[in-house]
Amino acid sequence: MDRGRAMIRVGIRTLLITSGFAVAMSQTAHASTQGTLGATSTGSVTINATIASRVQISGLSDVTFNAVDPSVAASSAQNVCVWSNTSTRGYRITAAGSGSGSAFTLASGTLPVVPYSVEWAGSSGQASGSALSSGTALTGLTSTATNPTCASGATSSASLIVKMASADLQNMQAGPTYTGTLTLLVAPE
Amino acid sequence: MVAVMIDGARSRDCSPSRHRYLGRGACHRLITRLAALLVAAVAVSAAPASAQKVRVDGLTDVNFGTIVNLTADSRQSQSICVYSQTANGGYNVRTFGSGPGGAFTLASGGDLLAYEVQWNAAPGQTSGTMLSANTTLAGLTSAASHQVCNNGPPTTASLIVVLRAANLAGATAGAYSGTLTLVIGAE
Repeated sequence: MDRGRAMIRVGIRTLLITSGFAVAMSQTAHASTQGTLGATSTGSVTINATIASRVQISGLSDVTFNAVDPSVAASSAQNVCVWSNTSTRGYRITAAGSGSGSAFTLASGTLPVVPYSVEWAGSSGQASGSALSSGTALTGLTSTATNPTCASGATSSASLIVKMASADLQNMQAGPTYTGTLTLLVAPE
Repeated sequence: MVAVMIDGARSRDCSPSRHRYLGRGACHRLITRLAALLVAAVAVSAAPASAQKVRVDGLTDVNFGTIVNLTADSRQSQSICVYSQTANGGYNVRTFGSGPGGAFTLASGGDLLAYEVQWNAAPGQTSGTMLSANTTLAGLTSAASHQVCNNGPPTTASLIVVLRAANLAGATAGAYSGTLTLVIGAE
């Protein structure tokens, strides 16, 4: 393989998964009152509503490493939107790959799989962040997003970084496309 | 016959022997005017005070439960009884919430969630005229024939409360509560 000029196409597809759980906190309030007969009549009702804890991740794009130089590590960073409606705007994220045991690997037919790494930053515009391990939640994150899809306010609130080490690139066969799917699960905190 | 007090003495008619100070013609005119006043006074006092009374009944608390879909409006409507004793069953409604200045807001600690109130003068409706806090919606009529709708139509109006998706998505998760007060007036 001409490592100086290898063309390696890598496709990683990310999936959007939202997760949330209801925060059921019953709150007792006085009952409705009826009016009496008179020149005016006054009645009242109590209104109760519980808003469930909710999160949403959006703004994800597929990651493509095209014609990379295997002598140089490859990195792809993208800004994404993560929104949480908890009082702290907190969330956690768990990533899983499509490899064996949810490993972060890319495959191409019968060729040996190739690993990649995933990093996450709690702010946008970052080129590096906290390394994610498949199936292990990264907790304690907070979002600046004020809209579920960042349609208003902050246009993004986190960074997703996918990297491939030079050594792994050099083990790849030039020509075939290696693909995989990275799944991100976000939950409110 | 109308009794007329003249000079402290009661007179039953305008006979010459009794109208020596007014004159017969003036006496008749005085009697006519007093009679008209008496009829008018009787006419006013004959209308019972209860004809201008109203009553609202059948109100129930509004419970949205746990809202999990924050991308769609949530709406609760109820049919209630509004009764008016005016000739045409006319009434008006004024509402105010428990938020600052009577605003239509629910509270969860320091967090507020705005809601909308709509009124429809027909029962069984899920939309109506939007109400503003502390503002009277007038020109309504009720077909109720009983003050608590125990006979005749069982309900006569609809109260609708709406939580808009934009407000739901912008609110912090939690349990919210508030009170909506309605004041019905006769028309």
